[in-house]
Amino acid sequence: MTTALVREIAELKAVAQHHAARHEHIQGFHWPEGVRIAVNFTADFDAMLLRRLLNEPPMQLAKGEFGGRVGIWRLIELFDSHGVKATIFTPGRICELFPQALRAAVASGHEIADHMWEHRVPKEADLEEDHLLKCKAALTAIAGRPPVGTRSHHSAGLLRREGFIYTSEGEADHLPYYTRDANGENCLVNLPFHYGIDDAMYFSFAWLASGNEAQRLADPDKVFDIFWNAFWQQYRQGGYLNVCLHPFISGRALRTAMLDRLITRMKSLPGVWFPTCEEVARYCLGKFPPRTA
Amino acid sequence: MPWKQNYTVSDEKTLLDRELHWPDGARCGVQIVVDLSVASGPQGITAADLKSSRAEFGRAVGLDLVLDVLKRYELRATFAVPAVIAEIAPDRITHILERGHEIAANGLKHEDTSKLERQDEAERIGLATEILRRFTGRAPAGWFLLPRQKDRFAAGAISPHTVDLLLEAGYRYLGNGIADDIPHYWVSDFAARRAILTLPYYYHYDDQFFLLFPVAGTNLENPESLARNWRAELDAQYKRGRWFSMTLHPHLIGFANRLHVLDEFLAHMHSLPGLWNPTGAEIADHWAANYPQATHLKLEQSVWKDYPGSLS
Repeated sequence: MTTALVREIAELKAVAQHHAARHEHIQGFHWPEGVRIAVNFTADFDAMLLRRLLNEPPMQLAKGEFGGRVGIWRLIELFDSHGVKATIFTPGRICELFPQALRAAVASGHEIADHMWEHRVPKEADLEEDHLLKCKAALTAIAGRPPVGTRSHHSAGLLRREGFIYTSEGEADHLPYYTRDANGENCLVNLPFHYGIDDAMYFSFAWLASGNEAQRLADPDKVFDIFWNAFWQQYRQGGYLNVCLHPFISGRALRTAMLDRLITRMKSLPGVWFPTCEEVARYCLGKFPPRTA
Repeated sequence: MPWKQNYTVSDEKTLLDRELHWPDGARCGVQIVVDLSVASGPQGITAADLKSSRAEFGRAVGLDLVLDVLKRYELRATFAVPAVIAEIAPDRITHILERGHEIAANGLKHEDTSKLERQDEAERIGLATEILRRFTGRAPAGWFLLPRQKDRFAAGAISPHTVDLLLEAGYRYLGNGIADDIPHYWVSDFAARRAILTLPYYYHYDDQFFLLFPVAGTNLENPESLARNWRAELDAQYKRGRWFSMTLHPHLIGFANRLHVLDEFLAHMHSLPGLWNPTGAEIADHWAANYPQATHLKLEQSVWKDYPGSLS
């Protein structure tokens, strides 16, 4: 009995160590001269695609459609009014559904990055590759240049081969860090995003099968406080903030107005930088290169 | 496959703020919807629902108090009425009409018809329309599919046939869609350009999701949060010159511990100059005159392709 327990503990320890070895934290990290914090505003522009994948009813899809018809335009308008360069994580299929909005985002200098072909990563390797290539081709056609970032669980090897330099889907650190595949290869910058700074956690009814008792019906004032506090704690320590928004949620007028207040307040402090995710990733790779690629 | 099918219900882009014009130079539109249903779940109004004291409160005291608040601030509402409620309380329907509000349909008994056969749904629409015509003297112009507290999703349930059936029955608008925050067209057939005007709904401005939601005992009584959502949306839309819509249930908001929140919010609304406060049919008139489907429903050519390994 004891022998089995000891073996189990050893196995758990090995798993944790192996997992930790995939992440390389950047020692002595600092921002460029004059910058105290980088804030990445990111928009996950899946509109109705996730609801479609989950086979949810038409009115749920229409709720997501708001993001493409209305919400994305409002977020672009908001970011442009503040000179903020945002990153829009875009499923390839969205290029077929809402090309006008994406072209407008590109024209305003926002980054278009990968968010999976149809908001899923197939388990079959061939199909996964097929989906990534389709998405890359669709985003390239819209943006005029290939994407270099993703928010997905696509295989790191595939991403590297296709020219991707960063992902944004983990939270192993407050600051940007490096992440590798299970073999310790195929290094990517990881720009951490935290579910606590994600609009869907506060405003999206029936998000991934949550029950009615667990609904998310917060008002903007509450979320303003949460987002501002997240910013302030990072600002104090010269950190990083990745704000995850969804156009079908934050594109609602009451929330865009809240974000307008939030950005205005952020800008009242010195040393706040609003780059795209690509700019942050390139800065990290140039200034603090990983130990091995 | 036409590219919109199973993904989108309307055209690619909303009308911009600057493209919107309201009657008499008004600055912003506001719509108040009062849902007279007491259904708790997808089955619609049941005998048990009708035997509850709060249902009785909603028809009598609660409704009177909501009507009084509306009158105090000179506001008109569109009442979404399940036909069975008109049968139960015809005098209340008359009373609402006398005060200048509009009566629209909210199902036969506010049941979820999204999974029914076409003929079954058609019969229910036909009967509900007939009942409401009998008690109001005219066929309702609008049909609502409002959600209930125990629905799995909070936006209302529509079937693949609903829009066609409503058009065939002569309806001029669908009361609650959620793909825009202004009136927009819900397309049932892209090739034929068949569509119905749809008014915007959003559950963050619907009282039932903030008042003992989803059932008593869950400690989800958040009238202040509801009020902050109303206020934030109205102020943001007023600034844009756009549209605000809210949904009320007399059997919930009518209680004094909540009614003051409505009173204070409507006082704020009343203080804003230049609001246009139409009922559903008046919105439909304005839309038909200014944003008709022929010129304002912009359906792009299909660019969608089917691929093996992808959802079509």
